[in-house]
Amino acid sequence: MILIRFACLIACVLCLAACDRFPESYAPPEQRHPVEGFNPGPEAMMVEMSDPDASLHIVKDIYGPTDPSWRWTSQNPTVQLLVLSTENLKFHADFAIWDDGFKTTGPLEIAFLVNGRLLDKIRYATPGLKQFEKPVPPDWLSADADTTLAMTVDKLYVAPKDGVKFGVILQRIGFKSR
Amino acid sequence: MIRVIPVLFGALFTVATAWSLGLLLFRKLSLVFHVWEERLLAFVAGSACLSAILFLLSVTRLVRRGILLVLALGIIGYAVYSGAFRRTGKPLPPVSPLPRLWRWVFVVFFAAFTYVGFFNALAPEHSPDGMSYHLSEVLKYQHAHGFAPITTDIYSNLSQGIELLYLFAVDFGRYSAASLVHFTFLVVLVFLILSYGKRIGRPEVGVAAAIFTYACPIVLLDASIAYVDVALAAVLFALFYLLQIWDENPDPKMLVPIGLLAGFGYEVKYTAIVAVPYAAGFIAWKLWRARKPLLRPVLVVSLIAVSCIVPWMVKNWIEVANPVSPLANRVFPNPYVHVSFEEGWRAHLTNYDLASRWQIPLQITVQGDHVEGFLGPLFLLAPLALLALRFRAGRQLLLAAAIFGCTYFSNIGTRFLIPVVPFVSLALALAVADIPWLLLTLVILHGITCWPDVYDLYCAHDAFRIENVPVMAALRLQPEDAYLMQDPEYVVVRMIGSAVPPNEPVFAISQGGQSYLQRDLLVGYESASNEVLQDILWTPVVRAFQPTRILTFDFPPRELRKLRVVQTAGLPHNQWSIAEMHIFNGQNELPRDPGWRLTAHPNPWEVQQAFDNSPVTRWRSWQPAAPGMYVQVDFGRPQSVSSVVVQSSDDTGDAKVKLEGMGADGAWVTLSDHPVQSRQPIRASLRLAATAELKARGIHYLLIKPENPGSDDLRRYPAFWGLSVAGSVGDVRLFHIK
Repeated sequence: MILIRFACLIACVLCLAACDRFPESYAPPEQRHPVEGFNPGPEAMMVEMSDPDASLHIVKDIYGPTDPSWRWTSQNPTVQLLVLSTENLKFHADFAIWDDGFKTTGPLEIAFLVNGRLLDKIRYATPGLKQFEKPVPPDWLSADADTTLAMTVDKLYVAPKDGVKFGVILQRIGFKSR
Repeated sequence: MIRVIPVLFGALFTVATAWSLGLLLFRKLSLVFHVWEERLLAFVAGSACLSAILFLLSVTRLVRRGILLVLALGIIGYAVYSGAFRRTGKPLPPVSPLPRLWRWVFVVFFAAFTYVGFFNALAPEHSPDGMSYHLSEVLKYQHAHGFAPITTDIYSNLSQGIELLYLFAVDFGRYSAASLVHFTFLVVLVFLILSYGKRIGRPEVGVAAAIFTYACPIVLLDASIAYVDVALAAVLFALFYLLQIWDENPDPKMLVPIGLLAGFGYEVKYTAIVAVPYAAGFIAWKLWRARKPLLRPVLVVSLIAVSCIVPWMVKNWIEVANPVSPLANRVFPNPYVHVSFEEGWRAHLTNYDLASRWQIPLQITVQGDHVEGFLGPLFLLAPLALLALRFRAGRQLLLAAAIFGCTYFSNIGTRFLIPVVPFVSLALALAVADIPWLLLTLVILHGITCWPDVYDLYCAHDAFRIENVPVMAALRLQPEDAYLMQDPEYVVVRMIGSAVPPNEPVFAISQGGQSYLQRDLLVGYESASNEVLQDILWTPVVRAFQPTRILTFDFPPRELRKLRVVQTAGLPHNQWSIAEMHIFNGQNELPRDPGWRLTAHPNPWEVQQAFDNSPVTRWRSWQPAAPGMYVQVDFGRPQSVSSVVVQSSDDTGDAKVKLEGMGADGAWVTLSDHPVQSRQPIRASLRLAATAELKARGIHYLLIKPENPGSDDLRRYPAFWGLSVAGSVGDVRLFHIK
């Protein structure tokens, strides 16, 4: 008899387990107001060579970090990044031409490209720190796909020891708002 | 080295308490065993009793060190006082003596593999599942002094009979004490196998099978970490053993420990539910053959087993509305586990990304990389165990192996074969026992091929295995922290611990070393609410999730009380979802009135996500789209409506929907079944919307590993997501939502 009672109790518990105890209907929730347009701050569209995740932006010709703040490039340093706004942007690059290399290569001509289109080509006749900035036509850019930024260095310094080729010393490359 | 003392104390105290309880139970029932059998079986039965006591303490939130100490000392003291430890068992009947060679074989191999297993168990615990759930649940219960309702982790819904023993051990000796308790189950299992060999008059079979089991790489590894599979194997073998004893001497009191262990199997692991019909069926069959009444014995065993099982079901029912969670979510729909998760998980566990099931034999015996471990090449000979069918004992062993192994294909991980290993080992040894030199050769070859330096030569490079014997770390001559820092998961949780304020949850896509983290790590797949967070996070980076598909229903203005969008297609490979549902009267959208009542079928609990104006949230069916699913609005009063716009996404495939309305007459009528489909560009910043939504749900930190989907985008564009890097370890990033 005790066993039968026990069995009934367990059966009841299992039946109760099948009961639903949650509300089946709900009132409309608090309404969200998603941001339209985009203003993430000036640093968002810049690839800093000091960023540990800079490698995720690099497409080619930028060597691994040898210093926390800069990286050597080869001939066609190329990065990709996202722009959500296509208006009022300028290509920005901070780089340096190495003194010792310059003695070998002489003046360098560097082309700056956006999505494969030539934005400008500049001749640098002295070594040292350089900065390039130029507005980018909005129709060259797309807000829903990665944009490719590239530099092309006409002459490379070739290390006599191992034959490795070096272009410029890159600190940052990307877009800034005008 | 002094730091190892609490670890050993925690483990020994747990084992002593369990053992005392078992002996007291046997004395209370006046059961008489052979001496060694009594000692070994008492530990296993006592573990079931201790687990039950800890369940009660956990329910009442009384798991406190002082209470455990007093309780355990009381149990041990009473056992000593009542003479439970006194030798009362009878010796095993005399059998042909074990040749000295076999004794030495056992001593040598047992000592060698004990060296490997014991020091691994004693070393700081950092196993994948141990850290991510077995012990992380223990940590939560320890903080809560008992069961803490956990609805964001499916693993806490599994039965945790052994984890409760770990809770006891960890309270005194930290995590290594838990591993040592598990290792004790292996030692007990090995001696039970030896003892069984003696019982059937074939002691050399017992020795061989004990070594087959003990040296088996996955068994030794599993036993040396805070998993539960070897404990389950010990419980099931003890159950088998008790049934064999009962078969020889059908003492009705023996039914109590039989029922207890049959139920305890389920408490250790769901898959051991088969132990209940096995035990009940065994007893029924034997009694029927003997023409004796069988109803009462079968009921006694079944009810004792069920009384062990039901508390776990009730716990789940109360906490997550599903007594067998995380399974059977179609039968017990609930807001905590999605049907799609369960079905995907189960599909994965039956396949483990193997190209073909024909890979299983080599994977589980030799390679071990896809199925998380290997048994050793000896088990390629497992089919030879069928030759043991010619013996009565062989038939019993193979029957048990078949029954306990029948759930294997629900999870083809090698660990899920561990409960079968003792039975197959004994049957295999029995099958070749008439050729002593062959049996001895197999034992020696198995011992050699299962030595870590040797199996490194043949197993897959990343097979789950013991790789070394960390003696210095085990003895704490190497600091615990220094040893654990070799594990990347430990380094990551240390980083989280230093960067995230207390009580702040961290959302992650994949598991980690939670047992060393005093924060709540919400893992993407581990609950319905976590899956929603993951869906939100992935919407900006997965175009198919984005609400670009627009379905517009236009119809002559009507007065309606209710309105619903109904799915009419069955899509086995696509879920149905609605990102937003807008209702218009003419050109004007009806404002979402607080008096509206929203519902959906299935998954009514997430229906608000189709009415929150967020482009990154959506109501999802979380199971394949099927005719009859709907999302419904009850206006509460008649409302003039002329069009409905449904925003959906491309991952809904060929979903087909119709719009139904209910007027004053209370009857549903179809308003339109041919919506105009169009596309809309996304204007909002989905990345910012996603992180804002996570923040609104209380998540301020994200842990992203490089292998996680979407990690590249998060790491490339943290500013676009409104994130800053709060910490990093290698390519792992901890982001803070600004």
